[in-house]
Amino acid sequence: MALQLNVNGQDVQVDATPDTPLLWALRDHLGLTGTKYGCGSGLCGACTVHVNGAPSRACQLPIESLVGQSISTIESLEESHPELLDVWVEGNVPQCGYCQSGQLMSAAALLSSNAAPTDADIDTAMAGNICRCGTYVRIRAAIHEAAAQRAKEA
Amino acid sequence: MKSIANLSPLSLAPLSPDLSRRNFLGVSGVFVLGACLPACTPTRPAPPVGTLEPNLFLALEPDGTVRVTAHRSEMGQGIRTALAQIVADELDADWARVKVDQAEGDTKYGDQNTDGSRSILLNYDRLRTAGAAARLMLRQAAAQHWGVPVEEVEAKNHQVVHASTGEQLGYGDLAGLAATLPVPESAPLKADAEHRYIGHGAKHVDTADIVRGKGTFGADFTLPNMATAVVVRCPWLGGGVRRIGNQPTDEPGLIGIEVLDPSPSAGPMFTPVGGAAVIAQDTYTAMRIAGQLEIEWTESENHAFDSAVLQGELRDALGQPGTPVPNSEKGDVDAVFESAQSTLEATYETPFLAHAPMEPPVAVADVTESGCIVHGPLQDPQSARGLIAGYLGVELDTVHVTPTLLGGAFGRKSKPDFALEAVELSKRLKRPVRVQWLREDDIRHDYFHAASAQYHRAAIDDQGKPTAWLQRTAFPSITTVFAAPAVMPADWELEMGFSNLPYQVENQRMESAGIRPGVRVGWMRSVCNIFHAFSANVFADEMAAAVGRDPIEHRLSMLAEGGKLAVPGMQPPAGHELDVGRLRHVIERVRELSDWQRPRPDGVGLGFAVHHSFRSYVATVLEASMANGKPQVSNAYVVLDCGTYINPDTCTAQMEGAVVFGLSLALQSTIDMREGAVVQSNFHDYLLLRMPDAPPTTVELVPPQGRLPAGVGEPGVPPVAPALVNALFAATGERYRSLPLQT
Repeated sequence: MALQLNVNGQDVQVDATPDTPLLWALRDHLGLTGTKYGCGSGLCGACTVHVNGAPSRACQLPIESLVGQSISTIESLEESHPELLDVWVEGNVPQCGYCQSGQLMSAAALLSSNAAPTDADIDTAMAGNICRCGTYVRIRAAIHEAAAQRAKEA
Repeated sequence: MKSIANLSPLSLAPLSPDLSRRNFLGVSGVFVLGACLPACTPTRPAPPVGTLEPNLFLALEPDGTVRVTAHRSEMGQGIRTALAQIVADELDADWARVKVDQAEGDTKYGDQNTDGSRSILLNYDRLRTAGAAARLMLRQAAAQHWGVPVEEVEAKNHQVVHASTGEQLGYGDLAGLAATLPVPESAPLKADAEHRYIGHGAKHVDTADIVRGKGTFGADFTLPNMATAVVVRCPWLGGGVRRIGNQPTDEPGLIGIEVLDPSPSAGPMFTPVGGAAVIAQDTYTAMRIAGQLEIEWTESENHAFDSAVLQGELRDALGQPGTPVPNSEKGDVDAVFESAQSTLEATYETPFLAHAPMEPPVAVADVTESGCIVHGPLQDPQSARGLIAGYLGVELDTVHVTPTLLGGAFGRKSKPDFALEAVELSKRLKRPVRVQWLREDDIRHDYFHAASAQYHRAAIDDQGKPTAWLQRTAFPSITTVFAAPAVMPADWELEMGFSNLPYQVENQRMESAGIRPGVRVGWMRSVCNIFHAFSANVFADEMAAAVGRDPIEHRLSMLAEGGKLAVPGMQPPAGHELDVGRLRHVIERVRELSDWQRPRPDGVGLGFAVHHSFRSYVATVLEASMANGKPQVSNAYVVLDCGTYINPDTCTAQMEGAVVFGLSLALQSTIDMREGAVVQSNFHDYLLLRMPDAPPTTVELVPPQGRLPAGVGEPGVPPVAPALVNALFAATGERYRSLPLQT
């Protein structure tokens, strides 16, 4: 039985069991492999996506709960938050890069709700995203930089 | 345009004069006319079209694209970028026109084992030469075309120019003609001051893809008709499936269940751990069914293994003389201890650790009658290829192993057991199979960083300087993975911060002991340096504290003024001896960088540690306090001397990351085994540092000064844990000797 989901602004059919986590629907059924598997238990944030704009762990969301919801993944970020990708590249933020889709999605959600986050705001918003390479200080700096660029343009 | 990147590159041997290369290119359909630049004399015919491929690492295409072949694996250390920087610099290429291709595992590249922090030091000279040879050939081709002496033409930023006439040709225009020339056996290298990529920053070549979710990691590689397998592995090493109690049969999406044989219970090498593989159309189906299997396991000699028992045995081993490190004994330690006014002793302990890269092991294999292809996050595709060929009993040249991007590795992905699982299952199912390890599999079936214990005893003078020093280390050796009877630590494990202590001590003895573990142990980022740097740096700090002396002053007083240190067992190549002057320098620099003398508020302490590993020198100062019984690190300062470096921003990033990696193991991470099985399973009980605990980190690189390149990926890790413990002592007066601190 196929379910209809709205992913990155498009309605798509997913032919998977209703309890399939969104993570695996994205990766195995929709070919959107930017969202990563890290723990399967909502502990590491590698699979962070937006559901109706809110950062959410795709490994914890059965697709049957998402019908009629608006899902955004890392693949949509270039259109919605191009400045965030730019500062990430400019700051050489990623090392291995595996966790960075999730980091970027958490950062984008933070900046959407808080245009000028403090270090403490950033730490709170990003605490659910583990980076084993240890890029945290660059992520913090990049979020500040993205906020500053937005403020300048506003 | 058809890619020519897959054409087999020519060897470093001179081209044969029959120009078979050009003929081959002529029939392969690669015809792209080089643009004729404005200064190009219109009456002269354009140079012949073709690709210049003078060696394994570089191809210059007719459109001017430079393709650099990276034969080392990318795991975040920026090696694909750094290798390309070296080639592009000596070629004097325009960086914007450089592309990087990933090499398969193949002996023709020489060493591809991407661990040991040695990619640059092994390849710096040969990649410079590769770029320089091509640059010389382009000059020769231009000189021939213009009929002028080669000395009169310069190659600069993708252009060859004849200064007196102003004629110029793009590199791409000259590629075909240059390809007809013999490859020079030597070519002039740039002076260091002429480098514009080496030693200068460059954005990593993969970052633009990564931030768009387009980087191809292991699990992102797919093949048509590929199935996905999740394996339920025996909790203890050497056990296997006795019986599966509930064989599911008619589950939608289920393809089959296959039993994998147990690995040897001792000396398991890279053999897959035994278990039951659930193969399905998609990952979730495989995961779900794997989670429902009720499996009875066979016992093995390891099924009662208990890490707490092992740690007790390590402590016990320290209470008696161990095996002396050959040629390490100086003076008479026992006599000095008997007569000494003041002695101190301490025992340090560290636990088993899991690598826990954010990407769990995963590999795709397709075994067919004609051969086998494997794609996955592999640190050493060449050894994986050899193992796979041996495993399948096929010719090496039928096996193709290509690394994807590695989503972290830290040594875990040097061990290709997960690739062998995919190979075995693909062979049985006669279709491409991806084996996806779950996080629980990764934590429980790692090649664990060894638990350890060290005992130090010293007699000290009134300045806290050791007049005699006895040190013992005990840990399960990595060699136990390779050979069933192995027990004792290997020399190379002891040379990681134990037998090569840099301090001047007249009376010294070093002893080691090994214990066979009931699990696989393996090398993890900086390996035995982790626990040896920890114990030695904390013990040195205890000596300083015993006489109330400044720890950095005290440490400097323990070192010779300069010179190369002779250490037992080590035979570093020329230029890589432990240079005491360089060690002193990083200590002095980190003292400045951290503003060490500036008083910190009450309850805030500074801690210092220094370590030489992977031929580099790192000194670290941490600023820390205790808040509600929890250590808080407020600042980190790191000075790195790695000799010649390629990308300074990458070096800085590696030090930043090393601080986080070191704090994870200092503060939070531990792996315990009970009844043969690992207790921890995921990030709720195998704890890693998160952003709120990552301190602002200031890094200083010592200028290269023409020195040989040395390691960067690992040497930042060892000083972190001891610097933290020393900082907490300064802050609170409490001395911690066991890791992790938060238990």
